[in-house]
Amino acid sequence: MGKLQKKGKAGAAVNYITRNQALKKLQVTLADFRRLCILKGIYPREPKNKKKANKGSTAPATFYYAKDIQYLMHEPILSKFREYKTFAKKMAKVMSKGQYSTAKTLAENKPIYTLDHIIKERYPTFTDALRDLDDALCMVFLFATMPKTEKIKAETIENCQRLAAEFQHYVLHTRSLRKVFLSIKGIYYQAEIKGQTINWLVPYQFSQDVPTDVDFRVMLTFLEFYQTLCGFVNFKLYSDVNLVYPPALDLKLDEGGAGMNALIIESTQSAANIAKTLNEEKQRLEESEKRLKTLSNKIAHIQESNSYETTNGNSSSSKNNNDNDNDNDNEDTMDEFPAPLPNLDGSSSDTVTFSDIQKASQHLTQFQSLFSQCYIFLSREVPRYSLEFILRACGGHVGWDPVLGEGSPFKENDDRITHQISDRPTQGHRFLNRHYVQPQWAYDSINAGKILAADPYHVGKTLPPHLSPFVEAKEGDYIPDQNQFEGQTEDLEIESAEEDEEEEDEEEEDEDEDEDEDEEGEEEEEEEDTEDLHQRELEAEAKGVAFTEFEAKENKKNAKKTKAVTAAADVAPVTRSAGKKRTAAEAEEAEAKELAKIMMTNKQQKLYNKIQYGKNKKAAEVEKLTKKKEQLAKEAKAANKKARK
Amino acid sequence: MEGDSIVDSQEESDNESEVDKEEEAESDYGDLEEDEIDPNFGHNLNEPLPEESEYNPIKREYPEIDPVYDSDSSTEENENTVGNIPMHWYDDYPHIGYDINGKKIMKPATGDELDKFLSTMDDPDSWLSAHNYKEGQDVKLTAEELEIIRRLEGNRIPDAEYNPYEEQVEFFTSKTEVMPLSAAPEPKRRFIPSKHEAKRIMKIVRAIREGRIVPRKSGYVPPKPKFYNLWNDAEDKPREDHVMHIAAPKMKLPTHDESYNPPAEYLPTEEEIKEWNEMDKEDRPKNYLPQKYNALRNVPGYGQFIQERFERCLDLYLAPRVRKNRLNIDPESLIPKLPSPRDLQPFPTRLAIEFLGHIGRVRSISVDPSGLWLASGSDDKTVRIWEVATGRCMTIYHLDELVTSVVWGPNKEVAVLAVACGYKIGLILPEKLFSPELTLHSEEYLKAGFSNNATVEANPKATWKQPTPSEYEKGIRVWIHLQKPVKQVTWHRKGDYFATVAPEANNSAVLIHQLTKHQTQQPFKKNKGAVQRVMFHPNKPMFFVATQRYVRQYNLQRQELVKTMQTGVKWISSLDIHPAGDNLIIGSYDKRLCWFDLDLSSKPYKTLRYHQQAIRSVAYHKRYPLFASCADDGNVQIFHGMVYNDLLQNPLIVPVKILKNVHERVEALGALCVEWHPIQPWLISSGADHTIKLFS
Repeated sequence: MGKLQKKGKAGAAVNYITRNQALKKLQVTLADFRRLCILKGIYPREPKNKKKANKGSTAPATFYYAKDIQYLMHEPILSKFREYKTFAKKMAKVMSKGQYSTAKTLAENKPIYTLDHIIKERYPTFTDALRDLDDALCMVFLFATMPKTEKIKAETIENCQRLAAEFQHYVLHTRSLRKVFLSIKGIYYQAEIKGQTINWLVPYQFSQDVPTDVDFRVMLTFLEFYQTLCGFVNFKLYSDVNLVYPPALDLKLDEGGAGMNALIIESTQSAANIAKTLNEEKQRLEESEKRLKTLSNKIAHIQESNSYETTNGNSSSSKNNNDNDNDNDNEDTMDEFPAPLPNLDGSSSDTVTFSDIQKASQHLTQFQSLFSQCYIFLSREVPRYSLEFILRACGGHVGWDPVLGEGSPFKENDDRITHQISDRPTQGHRFLNRHYVQPQWAYDSINAGKILAADPYHVGKTLPPHLSPFVEAKEGDYIPDQNQFEGQTEDLEIESAEEDEEEEDEEEEDEDEDEDEDEEGEEEEEEEDTEDLHQRELEAEAKGVAFTEFEAKENKKNAKKTKAVTAAADVAPVTRSAGKKRTAAEAEEAEAKELAKIMMTNKQQKLYNKIQYGKNKKAAEVEKLTKKKEQLAKEAKAANKKARK
Repeated sequence: MEGDSIVDSQEESDNESEVDKEEEAESDYGDLEEDEIDPNFGHNLNEPLPEESEYNPIKREYPEIDPVYDSDSSTEENENTVGNIPMHWYDDYPHIGYDINGKKIMKPATGDELDKFLSTMDDPDSWLSAHNYKEGQDVKLTAEELEIIRRLEGNRIPDAEYNPYEEQVEFFTSKTEVMPLSAAPEPKRRFIPSKHEAKRIMKIVRAIREGRIVPRKSGYVPPKPKFYNLWNDAEDKPREDHVMHIAAPKMKLPTHDESYNPPAEYLPTEEEIKEWNEMDKEDRPKNYLPQKYNALRNVPGYGQFIQERFERCLDLYLAPRVRKNRLNIDPESLIPKLPSPRDLQPFPTRLAIEFLGHIGRVRSISVDPSGLWLASGSDDKTVRIWEVATGRCMTIYHLDELVTSVVWGPNKEVAVLAVACGYKIGLILPEKLFSPELTLHSEEYLKAGFSNNATVEANPKATWKQPTPSEYEKGIRVWIHLQKPVKQVTWHRKGDYFATVAPEANNSAVLIHQLTKHQTQQPFKKNKGAVQRVMFHPNKPMFFVATQRYVRQYNLQRQELVKTMQTGVKWISSLDIHPAGDNLIIGSYDKRLCWFDLDLSSKPYKTLRYHQQAIRSVAYHKRYPLFASCADDGNVQIFHGMVYNDLLQNPLIVPVKILKNVHERVEALGALCVEWHPIQPWLISSGADHTIKLFS
């Protein structure tokens, strides 16, 4: 027999520690503990058995993981907190005595803490940091729009503005913006950086009403951490794409309200440097024969781009640096992808074929240069802070009304302008060779991945609904009309574009058209299908094929169809069964199911009911929406009839 | 009080002719000027004093004293020597002090107030005088004294000659002296560095070097956040997965209804808006109401933005995190795969015959061993016998109590029906239904006991009686009178013994009666708990007693308890034993049906809970692997219950049919009794709605 285990010596009893115990152990105040928890990312836990964790007591308590607290005891910040406490005491003493010179000396030696080590500790790899960037960005973007108050210092706001602008510049530079969404709360953005999707929410730029029921001490502690995190992440991001960090601030532009354009983005390597480093790289890699080809190819490409850069660089001023960088970068990404792939040994090509990768990359590059043919002018009433960002992040050329700030690359009467975004009931003066569209056009275009026809978005028209791009329709979900994007691809008429690009463009359009045709064809098929489906079902039943098998067969048939279509098909039988009278076979099946349910264990029964409850709830919601839609359609029809009379 | 201030008295006196008096005063000064010695006196006071370069503040010049006879004031007169005391001490005395020789100085004569007033009126200089208490008389102030008073009044320095703004006299001039002050040689300390100081400095230097003293930063600047490359892709190791590390969940991404311009169907109706507004903040499924704006310019700022971010912050550091395993299973996979009911036929599926005629609840039914006749006992105090095949009512027996139980004797050679009716048990021989031989044989069998009656001592708990002739005519052959109402009658398989249950008769609740000898035994001296049901084992000398919660198995030969089955239910309602004898089922008022495998365990092999109301009756089929249960919800459920001979194989239980709403619910009672046809796979059920139904 083993040694007798004493109670309270292992398991939950030692794994968890209550908050009060933690305070006593760390000998800190509650406020300090809160700050520590926020900075170190320590959060309460929910032990499986509270009674065991709380030494037999069932009194409500907040539990922390005991090891978290133990690690806190050696936290340098904790000692800094204590130093600060003594400092504050000394200061108060000296000030009360009126010894101002001593106070000055003391103030100079005020203890300061940094959060670098915590960031490295919480995010051991850069990917971890990126994964947790959502909240940080939301917070930084919020505080960038906050007014200065007693608690929120001007420097904090300024720093937030700067960090936000830096991050936006990176997204611009790497063209990593993927989705945007105008919600009632603000504007959601999604970027894909190093394989991580990062979402953040930016409030509409109105003066924020600072609420009184919010504890800003908590917010500011979070912000303190997030600022540091954003700074380090920005540094890493910038240095990974060879940009200088921190970017210099153009004071003149900043004064003129240029917004994020006030930052001067510079590359760390001049053209000569790049060539030099590449040569070094070449020497280093010469030993490995496998990669030799790739490298030479690569260098050839890069040298080309270098020459391009030098020719362009001479003509462009420092202000337009950003645009040039973007262009170069874009070309790099376009060229880099296909080159190394042919040299793969075929070991990794089992699952993903080369053509798949190529397609994906092509698709991506197309998306990244979505607006590259467009010259878009922003009228003075549209939100430049957002539109400029999203349009340029997709390769667009953006100019704006001087009211919106300095630094516009072109004026309203420029001939190249293809679209003018304005948000007013009617447009007075119009240039004939451009579309006047509402801001939603830009957002919908990005979400659709193609430039949408401008007609439904023209100034003064009722806009089509703006849908969230973040919703991934699952089986049984309600899907609002999505055919709004179909057959609406824009015919671009850009004379100044180069021939090659035009050809490419035409190809793209052709593809799009093909796709559209396919989709239409599918729809027709689908209609036929729904009629035939029932007949086939009955036949299968007569043959004695189980319903599940039959369904599997059907699914195989439908495999070619798009996801959305199948989803809709799956929904169909559910609604039908609810609506019409059940057939005998269905009834029998239902009865068999009911009988089988009797033999379920209690546990299984509960679980089953739970799942069924969720499903029913969802189905009810979908039904509600469809009913509402039908109702609305009816009302609209009636209104139309009335109008005709 | 008048005398307190020296100047008061004179101001009071000269209200009328100020101007004149001032003029006079000026003229007085003029007089004084001539008399007095001070050259500066009478000088216009507003003008600054004439500068005197050689004026020395340390050395004061006083007016020279003319050493005439009168010059020494001490010799002047009798000086009062009382010193600085409050003079009112002398108020009541005729003298006001003592002179130097110790003689009293008498108070000078003073007139009354009127005299005083007159004298002040007469004397133009009276306002210049002050009262000298020590002398006890008025003294005329000199011009100097007046001047001092005037200066004091003007907040100036009393001494007119004092110059507060003296030129500074430099004690050490900036000019270097050519000549040394002393001829002493310069001391060594002037040019040799101090050892002591060096020591002290070295001490500090060492402290600085060791870092004990941090030299003060010059030009203190608050440190700016400095960023550098914190991550090194090659060297960084990702955090190892740990059970206790739970990453913060990400914020939910917006759905369509959060759009500024959502599809119209997402917009809430007025009721929904009202409902949302009335809901508590915590209960709301979403923290916003979908809204539609027809243009981006109309979208206002979101008022709850900061609050929502704050809530997120609170969630991040205050909300306990728990790892929850989301079950991603198909709910259909939870449903056990059972053999199709089609493969398990035959079992009753349809209603075939309805037996109508009773006008009370049909509590009990029984089919005779041949399968031709159905007996039913009802709350309308009748027992009816029906033909199973047609549903025709053959005979009606009117009794005087509610009929709680009817059971056919299992012996095919004896046609006897046991009826429990109130305190009595009747044994009925339905004459016309059976062949004459059988009837005759039965008659003899039933009567045999009465001859035996005399020899055996009568059991006081049960008395066997002969029926009255009228009753005899009806078909009743024997009455057994018990002390408490009988609830159940059950036969032994051979048809000689039968057991009755009268739950209210505590220890004698269970009685076993022998038909051939008309004897009654009480098998248990004491009952554990209220007995609900009893049953004989179908092929062994065993006896089952179901109390509220337990089923006990007794060996009748050895007279011992064999087994106690723990059912786990609250109140057993019914009991049946599988014809093979190794399994039994019980139904309970708390909706459960338990299947016991007697060889396996004393706990149920399977507990099923599918009825919505209390189970009233359960029954096994004698031949087919079927069993059924009926409940107060009016449903009857039929199961396939296969028992294998192989001991290793567990019984197979498959629900095959739910007969829904077989009987209507009347006063919270539904189906009351189920019984299987002894030969056919037919099910007969009776209910509170006065009907009996046969399913085939």
